[in-house]
Amino acid sequence: MATLEVKNLHVEVEDEETKNKKEILKGVNLLMKTGEIHAIMGPNGTGKSTLSQTIMGQKNYHVTNGDILLNGESILDMPVDQRARKGLFLAMQYPAEIQGVTNAEFLRAAINARRPADDKISVMDFLKELDKNLELLDMSQAMTERYLNEGFSGGEKKRNEILQLLMIKPSFALLDEIDSGLDIDALKVVSKGVNSMRGDNFGALIITHYQRLLNYIKPDVVHVMMDGKIVKTGSADLAQKLENEGYAGLRDELGLKVNLVDD
Amino acid sequence: MTLENLTINEPDWFVQKRLTALGLADKLPLPTMQRFDFHNWQLTPPTRTIIKTNIASPDNYILMDLFDASNEYPDLVQKYLYSIIKADENKLMAYHAAFVNHGVFLYVPKNTVIEKPIELELQQDSSQPFVSHVLVVAGENSKFSLIQKTTTKGNQASVANCVVEIKALTNSEIKYAAVDELGQNVTSYLSRRADVDRDAYVDWSIGLMNEGNTVADFDTDLKGTGAHSEIKVVDITAGKQLEGVNTRVTNYGKKTIGNINQRGVITDHSRLIFNGIGHIIKGASGANAEQQNRVLMMSSHAHGDANPILLIDENDVLAGHAASVGQVDQNQLYYLMSRGLDKKTAQRMVIRGFLGDVLVSIPSKAIREQLVQTIERKLANGQEISENS
Repeated sequence: MATLEVKNLHVEVEDEETKNKKEILKGVNLLMKTGEIHAIMGPNGTGKSTLSQTIMGQKNYHVTNGDILLNGESILDMPVDQRARKGLFLAMQYPAEIQGVTNAEFLRAAINARRPADDKISVMDFLKELDKNLELLDMSQAMTERYLNEGFSGGEKKRNEILQLLMIKPSFALLDEIDSGLDIDALKVVSKGVNSMRGDNFGALIITHYQRLLNYIKPDVVHVMMDGKIVKTGSADLAQKLENEGYAGLRDELGLKVNLVDD
Repeated sequence: MTLENLTINEPDWFVQKRLTALGLADKLPLPTMQRFDFHNWQLTPPTRTIIKTNIASPDNYILMDLFDASNEYPDLVQKYLYSIIKADENKLMAYHAAFVNHGVFLYVPKNTVIEKPIELELQQDSSQPFVSHVLVVAGENSKFSLIQKTTTKGNQASVANCVVEIKALTNSEIKYAAVDELGQNVTSYLSRRADVDRDAYVDWSIGLMNEGNTVADFDTDLKGTGAHSEIKVVDITAGKQLEGVNTRVTNYGKKTIGNINQRGVITDHSRLIFNGIGHIIKGASGANAEQQNRVLMMSSHAHGDANPILLIDENDVLAGHAASVGQVDQNQLYYLMSRGLDKKTAQRMVIRGFLGDVLVSIPSKAIREQLVQTIERKLANGQEISENS
């Protein structure tokens, strides 16, 4: 069993133009184990994406206090690629487009980056695995010979993120708003992909602000984040409750003085 | 300067061209290149011996040593030699015409289609200057690909002056690909120009991988109505290399199309200037000229410049340009690294994408793969140095 633990995490970002620093995360605590699916819900601008980017190691996010531990080891000083090879994966909200590098070539390189130099994946094994996952995600062969994300539609990009997830098989996946911009059919396909990963060696943190995705990927634990902190943790029922009552209802119930962006 | 024994076995008219040029070499100015100063480079050492080229003669076209061709096909060679790039254009061309010591003549007769790319492997010996002339004539309706690879043998300091003239007659179609890999101690001047007649098409793919200081002029004159050219240049500079590249398209004819796409990657302490020159002559109505000049900086010690220069003397045209000098896109790098690729591998992937357009258009898989390997090697060296400096 692997663990991912976030302890009292404080994170600042610096505005590129004004150079003003702003604290986004104000003491986040979270413990995840493989075998579990967690969901983080919360209103816009509350720090959900910041949390996932900070765990992955995006360098614009500065940790000012607290720690992130993967299997008990702090990863704060590790560069992004090392964190990935240790078992973290972030399905991004806005995946980069890279011309000249095919999807298939990239997937192989990513798989091989995790393996010793003298034990690269064979072409046969790679293609077998690729075909299986393409079918699961209802993606065409042609997608793999296209340049990485280049000219992909929003939905194709999201599917492609999940394809990478299935091929790379991380211990922990952070899924940042993989439901945004998806129609219901695509949402089902993406969910099917994530669900196929479920098992003792996989954990996921699903970031969303709609409950809809959680109808398809049933979380074991639901966290609600507001103003840079996790304010409530509960079972899958919590997501349903939020859907009915809204974030404002929960805020008032908890007696929090937080401005919601949409108030 | 004298011509010594270069002229043995040459027809009189050829010797006369040498002598005329010799008289001009000291009087003419260097070719102009904006924002790039090379006036104190030593580029004109005399040559003393002819370097013969032995090529098996094909059946349906002519491919042979230029000096042999000047005896065997004097009318053809005399008609086209220095008709596209004139021997009196500048000092380096005059020097070239006086001291040319290596040459290849390719003549593809009209209506001839050659499926397999014609490959030309040229090797400069660093013990003497290499003044090389490739003359290409594409007959009407002919169609073929020519791949030229140029390398250096030995490490002595030397000079290369390499000229390619291409005459594309009516409705011909030529793909010309060059992989230039002249050595670190070679100072070179490259001048390549195509003269494109009505409805003819010239496609240039140039991988400028020289390791020494280089000045390059890549020109296309779109003379006939409907003439078309695509010019793609990739360039990687390393070490303390200085490189200046003028890529020019001149639209003379109506409805001519000329697109320039230049990509440069600069590493270490190198310097690269890309001048993209689009000139539309008055009367070339319906002409289309686009250009992109992009430079990627891999080291803060490297200097790059991308200058679009548009000279438009006609109203009824479409012309546009884009230029940039920048660093590797951090979002792309982050994305690739978030999948476990180390920084160097990720950087090289991003760069390969950046160079992609030109790479995919090289008409031979083998040459393409060789070029990719050369690029990988140059970049890997550049990355090492950048990291250690």
